[in-house]
Amino acid sequence: MITMTHYLVFSALLFCISVAGIFINRKNILLLLMSIELMLLSVNTNFIVFSHYTNDITGQVFVFFILAVAAAESAIGLAIIVSLHRIKNSLDINLINKLKG
Amino acid sequence: MDILTILFYLVTSVIILSSISLIIVNNTVHAALLLVLIFFNSAILWLLLKAEFLAIILVLVYVGAVLVLFLFVIMLLDMPVKKNISKKLYLLFSTIISIIMFSELYMVIFFHDFSESININTISESNNTYEIGLLLFTEYIFSFEVTAFILLVAIIAAIAINMNEKQRALRQNPGKQILENKKSRLKIIKDKEL
Repeated sequence: MITMTHYLVFSALLFCISVAGIFINRKNILLLLMSIELMLLSVNTNFIVFSHYTNDITGQVFVFFILAVAAAESAIGLAIIVSLHRIKNSLDINLINKLKG
Repeated sequence: MDILTILFYLVTSVIILSSISLIIVNNTVHAALLLVLIFFNSAILWLLLKAEFLAIILVLVYVGAVLVLFLFVIMLLDMPVKKNISKKLYLLFSTIISIIMFSELYMVIFFHDFSESININTISESNNTYEIGLLLFTEYIFSFEVTAFILLVAIIAAIAINMNEKQRALRQNPGKQILENKKSRLKIIKDKEL
């Protein structure tokens, strides 16, 4: 029998792996964006687990909104990556220092 | 051990293993394909949780649109596959930080009693898509319209970021038009034969 705790532990594990991915992939901003997608996936899984076990459909509506916003975010992120690659000819985020922040 | 439990462990182990290999792989195309695998298995997991509509949306929108967009960007950028030099230090730090985070989350999950929030009395008769639509178009209609607007803004931003000046050549240039005078536009040619 699979309980809620199984799903929650899985979701936490996936989130921690993607946090590690953000730390590791500092040379490639595309892989960093993929790690963010993975984080969003684990959060969505958490929402659906709670929605299923509390019998409240509102969590699934919220997942719908998160998916839409994540699609918009990745579209803009990829556009920024393409124009950045045109300027810098690299995807290393250590080289992105044009604003000198 | 019934078939659903076996399916749960199979799907979650595939997701965890492929996400670990996603964050340590060097080739970006392999990473995108691993992400496709992860999303498909997550759709199976969401089907186990009776969220059919969102599982289909995950496959259609994410695998069908966003990951194809990722693959197109990888194809456009054409990066060389190279080894990361300073990966060891980052690997150490990220492992420590994620282990700390996971242990904290584990404690939260295991020392909190979720059974009081579980409500299994109301079992819905209608299907999942119908219920989501009912809630989406009545109570959350404003959020739904805002989401549509966000997607419109994202389309315009993604086009506007990557548009360079040469592609806008058919536009009028008002400053240049004002500075024109009669001499620069007209030239009188005298024909000798007339």
